[in-house]
Amino acid sequence: MTNRPTNRPTDQLIDLLSSNVKPVAPLAPPLARAGVTLAVMILMSGVAFALLRESNPLQSREAADAGLIGLEMLAMLATGILAVTAAFFLSVPGRSRNWLGAPLVPFGAWLLLSGTGCFRDMLRTSSAGWQLGHSADCLMFIVVFSLLLGAPLVWRLSRAAPIDPLPVAALGGLGTAALAAFLLHFFHPFAVTFIDLAFHVAAITIVIALAALFKRPMLRPA
Amino acid sequence: MAGRDDRWGQLLSAAQAGDGAAYREFLTDVTPFVRAIARGRLWGEDGVEDVVQDVLLTVHRVRHTYQPGRPVAPWLAAIVARRSIDNLRKRGRRAARETHDPMAYETFAEPDANNSESDDDAKQLARMMDALSPRQKEALKLVKLKEMSLAEASAVSGQTVASLKVNIHRAIKRMRLAAEQDGAE
Repeated sequence: MTNRPTNRPTDQLIDLLSSNVKPVAPLAPPLARAGVTLAVMILMSGVAFALLRESNPLQSREAADAGLIGLEMLAMLATGILAVTAAFFLSVPGRSRNWLGAPLVPFGAWLLLSGTGCFRDMLRTSSAGWQLGHSADCLMFIVVFSLLLGAPLVWRLSRAAPIDPLPVAALGGLGTAALAAFLLHFFHPFAVTFIDLAFHVAAITIVIALAALFKRPMLRPA
Repeated sequence: MAGRDDRWGQLLSAAQAGDGAAYREFLTDVTPFVRAIARGRLWGEDGVEDVVQDVLLTVHRVRHTYQPGRPVAPWLAAIVARRSIDNLRKRGRRAARETHDPMAYETFAEPDANNSESDDDAKQLARMMDALSPRQKEALKLVKLKEMSLAEASAVSGQTVASLKVNIHRAIKRMRLAAEQDGAE
């Protein structure tokens, strides 16, 4: 006999749970789950690109900005990949909370590089950097593609029934918005103005806010 | 600690495979560990057993998220931390919308000793009844206190059903007014 303190309701609960236990398949490691999900999301992006593409809009952008645009897109992709991976790590109990900060460095780099591009463009075209371009279309593109790309992500994340759904939802939102913004660049034949950049940031904020708002029905937390 | 964690890991892996006995042993073994963390997180005994039970239910729901071979203690501690925070938030919300009434807990076996204010209430009720007309008093007594139907009350009192309804309505209105005046004084 053990000397543990007896507590009837707790003991009864243990009896109830252990008498009704059914076999469950352990989830794969978060990195593997993130990898498969990202592969699906990138495949979906590829299909969207193939279906919607008219010409290569990147070629119509200033050749002088090619390096900067490349770095900006790399930062977007890194933000998306790291945010989605972090969401998978934080969806299971006991993993390091440091994953919360993982996408922040590439996200900061992305905003900085975009801002630099806008500034260069403004110097080159005088006041054009402050003009309203196709900002509303960009916003719609990011929000709609985030919702599409987010579907497999939500499904995969909900399998973990995350006990703390808010950071998981926020990171998932940031990840999908970053990947949608990455895809947007392939349909963005004009230089990004400061107003465009503000709309891009607004779109990302909307996606994160929607994810945070609907975290419970989407992720079905335990 | 490593030995304990290995053992918990083996038991939980067996539970994932559907072994009820291993699961019972696991839950029983981890309960003191869960209770100790909850006690630290909640700064006392209040609510500890609620958290322990919440944690056991959560473990049951997310047992598939344990990856065999990894340490169990951090996995379990994260669940306890989360459920403790939920418990504290719940308590905070409850405290914000409920009022503490110390008199509510003063319940004795002797009914007369339960509420020192009951005499005052009875006197106030009698005062309010005195303010009613005899027909209003009769209607209220038969329908509301003796719980007769309107037809029965009509047969006993000789008042029509419509008259009973009017008298009850006026009686309640007058008593409410008297109670408000009492409260204002």
